Amino acid sequence: MKKTITIALCALLAAACASKAPAPSASSGEKKKFVVGYSQSNNAEPYRAQLNLQLQHFLKKYPDIELLPIADAKQSSATQVSQVQNFITQKVDALIVSPTEPAPLTAAVQQACDAKIPVIVLDRTVNTDCYTAFIGGDNVLIGRKAGEEAVRLLPDGGNIVELRGIMSNQPQIDRDKGFREAVAANPKIRIIADREGKWLKEQATPIMQQWLAQHQQIDLVYGHNDPMALGAYLAAQAAGKADKIKFIGIDGLAIPDGGIRAVQLGQLSATFIYPTGAQEAADTVNKILHGQPVEKKQVLGTTQVTKDNAAELYKQFDLSGQN
Amino acid sequence: MTTVKTAPPVQAPGESRVRRALSALGAAQAYIGLVLVLAVGIATKGEMFLNETNLTNAIGAFASRGILAVGVTLVILTGGIDLSVGSLLGIASMTAAMMLAKFSLEPWQIVPICMVVGALFGFLNGAGTAWLRIQSFVMTLAMLSVVRGLDRQVSDNVSVGTQIAGPDGKLTPQAEAFQLFGTPGHNLFDRIYYPVLAFIVVCVIFHLILTKTRFGRHVYAVGGNPTAARLSGVNVTAVTIAVFTLSGMLAGFAGPIDAAYSASADPQAGQSFELDAIAAAVIGGASLAGGKGTIAGTFVGALILTLLDNVLGLNAVSDNWQLVIKGLIVVVAVVLQRPDLFKIFRGGSRS
Repeated sequence: MKKTITIALCALLAAACASKAPAPSASSGEKKKFVVGYSQSNNAEPYRAQLNLQLQHFLKKYPDIELLPIADAKQSSATQVSQVQNFITQKVDALIVSPTEPAPLTAAVQQACDAKIPVIVLDRTVNTDCYTAFIGGDNVLIGRKAGEEAVRLLPDGGNIVELRGIMSNQPQIDRDKGFREAVAANPKIRIIADREGKWLKEQATPIMQQWLAQHQQIDLVYGHNDPMALGAYLAAQAAGKADKIKFIGIDGLAIPDGGIRAVQLGQLSATFIYPTGAQEAADTVNKILHGQPVEKKQVLGTTQVTKDNAAELYKQFDLSGQN
Repeated sequence: MTTVKTAPPVQAPGESRVRRALSALGAAQAYIGLVLVLAVGIATKGEMFLNETNLTNAIGAFASRGILAVGVTLVILTGGIDLSVGSLLGIASMTAAMMLAKFSLEPWQIVPICMVVGALFGFLNGAGTAWLRIQSFVMTLAMLSVVRGLDRQVSDNVSVGTQIAGPDGKLTPQAEAFQLFGTPGHNLFDRIYYPVLAFIVVCVIFHLILTKTRFGRHVYAVGGNPTAARLSGVNVTAVTIAVFTLSGMLAGFAGPIDAAYSASADPQAGQSFELDAIAAAVIGGASLAGGKGTIAGTFVGALILTLLDNVLGLNAVSDNWQLVIKGLIVVVAVVLQRPDLFKIFRGGSRS
């Protein structure tokens, strides 16, 4: 019995090692196949799930590039550091990292850089310049655009409530900062309440219910992501006040219950696409591996989703059934 | 009141009155806590707090966690713990949303399926605990991870909406009916908010099971003293498996309610709900040592947590302080359960 278990364990271990080791690159001589590792900070957020899907989709366009199974750091910096180190040990040809947090990942990215592995930092930064390219959205810009839209929607001023993401998250801090800068343009606009909705729809609904009980007038809800804006919408709809209040979200995912559809249905007044950067990352990896120059810092813009362009944008970003 | 006493505490003749008072306070603590929260709510926000809409909203938002708390209480009564209920709620809500979106099942078909899914995982918890003798803390901690992983895998990490529109742009009849389960603003007979009703009914049923049936007595017996229970003919293994299965089944029942509440099943739904459920049970007087606690207490504990959340929210207390206050209340609740602590401070030994 014991022997069987030992053999089984050894077999398992061998299988695990075999699957992890990338095909020995360039040994066959003829056609080189590049191996790319990607460490994602957390697969569970819909935005990141969409990013993964898109990255796999766009990298398929380059037949000589093989993407290893995406490593999910589950929001743990420690896990992510060991994932990056694993990829370095495996001698991948290029590495993509979406850091969970900047500081803990800095050393790991530095190690990859020292090992002469090109690194693409996707979405969030690290505290070193030793990487090949950074690709990411600009949350301050998106927050500002959302604020400008709020100013446009409330020409005579009004009361705004703000549902924030997790307070310690940098995107939350930036989306708040940009928004407040922009709404300051109209002194008659007041942000009368803000609370942490933890990026979740089911957290946002009771908060909005409390606000509706507390405040005589709420003219606009700014949610740091679409699910929170929609959670607030559910509360307002139940109270019969949904059509008197405007809702603005962020993310604009092309999924059936995402923000783009919500704009089409008239639930949200607007949302702003937080670009995944997947296509840019795929193109950049390809260029790096073929020795072409790339831009070191690529900051992506945003697209405002309105009723007019929603259908078209949904078609553009919907990848379901394409992989 | 909230506690089932196995034996009356032995009081030394000269024992201070304070200790006796504390002991009585421990028994009634949940009710006193509820009165305090209500008093603060009424004093600070009056009509805004006390009106029916606000109270329904507040309790409705907590109902799915309250139902989890009932299941967790059963497990705690046997001296175990169930950390997996949040994940089980998550996979049940995902199951519900997918049954609706992919197969257009009717709500009356969806709910039993979800309950079976929950009960199945609950049974595995029980089997691992009773047969493999894995500590319930470890077994259900593992299940928390396994089930969350499965949830994320089947959903591809993307939320699934329950407001399914037909070709005419209107909600399908099934989706329309599903909303009744908890989408805010949709009430049974235009009057009763379903999650609140479901929570109360679950409490009543399980209160009766625990107080009026042989199974209920066995649950207390197993938690009080498993060896004695076994010697007096209680099938400890069967009782253990049963409480975990029931806890899973209740989590399965709470799943569709949660999915309807946010009109979608999020792959992260139910995360950390197990902590709220355990907190409700503990505030209600359940002892993690087993054998002590009631469903009535858990119901009151859940009410305290939800109304506290509401009162603090209406008074615009920041989220950080809300966390601090809720944590402190759990500590106070547990301390009040332990009149012997008073003796320690006076230099006595804890026997």
